[in-house]
Amino acid sequence: MLILGIETATEQVSVAIGGHEGVLGLFEVCRGRRHAETVTPAIQFLCRQADIELAEISVIAVDVGPGLFTGMRVGLSAAKALAQALRIPMIGMSSLDLLAFPLRHTDRTIAAVIDARKGELFYAFYRPVPGGVQRVLEPQCGRVDDLIADLMARGDDVVCVGDGALRHRDEIHAELRCEFAEQFLSRPSAAPLVQLAHARALREEWVNPWEIQPMYLRLPDAQINWSTRAQGSTDNTGGLAR
Amino acid sequence: MTDHLILRPSGEFAGPVDEHTLVLGIETSCDETAAALVLGGYDVASSVVSTQVDIHAQYGGVVPEIASRAHLDMLNPIIARAIVEAGVPDSRIDAIACTIGPGLIGALLVGVSAAKSLALAWDVPFIGVHHHEAHLYAAFLEDPTLEFPLVVLLVSGGHTMLIEMQDHGRYKLLGRTIDDAAGEAFDKVARFLGLGYPGGPAIDREAVHGNPEAIHFPRAMMHEGLDVSFSGLKTSVMNHVRKHPDVSSEDVAASFQAAVVDVLVTKARRAAQQVGAKGLVLAGGVAANSLLREQFLDACVVDGIHGFLPSREMCTDNAAMIAAAGWHRLRSDGPTSLDCGAFPNLKIPGLT
Ligand SMILES: [Zn+2]
Repeated sequence: MLILGIETATEQVSVAIGGHEGVLGLFEVCRGRRHAETVTPAIQFLCRQADIELAEISVIAVDVGPGLFTGMRVGLSAAKALAQALRIPMIGMSSLDLLAFPLRHTDRTIAAVIDARKGELFYAFYRPVPGGVQRVLEPQCGRVDDLIADLMARGDDVVCVGDGALRHRDEIHAELRCEFAEQFLSRPSAAPLVQLAHARALREEWVNPWEIQPMYLRLPDAQINWSTRAQGSTDNTGGLAR
Repeated sequence: MTDHLILRPSGEFAGPVDEHTLVLGIETSCDETAAALVLGGYDVASSVVSTQVDIHAQYGGVVPEIASRAHLDMLNPIIARAIVEAGVPDSRIDAIACTIGPGLIGALLVGVSAAKSLALAWDVPFIGVHHHEAHLYAAFLEDPTLEFPLVVLLVSGGHTMLIEMQDHGRYKLLGRTIDDAAGEAFDKVARFLGLGYPGGPAIDREAVHGNPEAIHFPRAMMHEGLDVSFSGLKTSVMNHVRKHPDVSSEDVAASFQAAVVDVLVTKARRAAQQVGAKGLVLAGGVAANSLLREQFLDACVVDGIHGFLPSREMCTDNAAMIAAAGWHRLRSDGPTSLDCGAFPNLKIPGLT
């Protein structure tokens, strides 16, 4: 069983093919926001170099976020259309799970933290278990103070991973003693995506393309402004006249 | 990001582009998610449009992030329905055409990413299509007898242009708005009058019971050239209502609409006369306006020119026009490279 993994939740585009032999091929590039330009040629290139026909793929795995909205939708849209065209099922995985999984051999609590821009972070906590990691805090959207407060409340030894953790390294470090994972682990990758998806695929825990749900964790600005306005504020809706 | 079409043949497409070529069109540039199958560039086998207008109405305009999310949710089922309604197997599809600009970047990217995936999975060419060029082709879907040179009055929420279509892929910009697009003026005036969103249909409805001659609003640049301007008209509507708070909004809507239509029709006739056009075509969302349709046709009869009004479904955004334009582009330029992105401010290719 071959799985194609597509991941575009941060500034990186990552595509991998794998199966029971592990990851057979991985393509990653992180050069500005060129997700749409890169993802289709990357799949084409990877298949050609790994000598795999798309028709041999039996599951499409995709990072459903949280992440940068426009970028993550490129991967989701490409993945859903591929699954639809090839008539194969899909497996959705959170970007935060993908960040935490490579740190499964630690004995600390893992804080996976993605930069959400606008002064916010997407984060979740995990603890290592035999063969993987287990979520102990569901994905959140908050400011760095919220992250620090949540970490302090747990009181465990912590290792932080992700571009959001690196961005706020000094603020986090000032408040609590923790380790930071290597820079090269700071973006979710399609390699752990296909590894994790393979285990699920063996249990046939997959869905149809139209059932894949993106994990945004944040309302569109207009909806946020709209609800504050409904409560009496005079904020602009941020709407765009067509 | 450079805003030009990337038209580099991928070299994998060898087949002839003819009356048997079946193109799947995809459109996600604004607030309509659409897919369609068109045979041979002219024959619509299916056309499915899902509009988000109700989702955006409460915000008084299209909210880009909300539009992008809705496109991602809707696109797969819309494509599936277009294929089912056409009654063909996936393997019969010869090419995938998709709007790559202009439009909302996040919305465009949902369609482009999906379209390129389909092209890759089915091993067929991908064709990047310019949204406005597709609007020009909407007319050919319903009237293949149209002859060049044609003058097209393209009026939508984002654009107001007079284009001479000299041949397939050869266009000349004759005139355009120097400020607001016609649709934008409709939206702003409708919002000001409290008629809701979208403004075009709202003004159209309100004007039915009003007197178009009740107030004489200015017709800017009426007597010279082919460019238009609507920002002064919008301001004078607002000033008039502020000065006369008891004025009937039906009369205001009717008089405002009459001024817009008067300007558009006058300029379109002048353009057609100038280039010796064989036909005059209306295109874009504002082409659904009842008064514009009526006066446009009347003018064509008076001037003895072949006038063409697309059906209302073909005026508003749809994917059949994308597939049609894609068929012509595939024939003239070949496939678009799979490393193509989306271009929010794309210029019409071949426009001088
Ligand atoms: Zn349009």
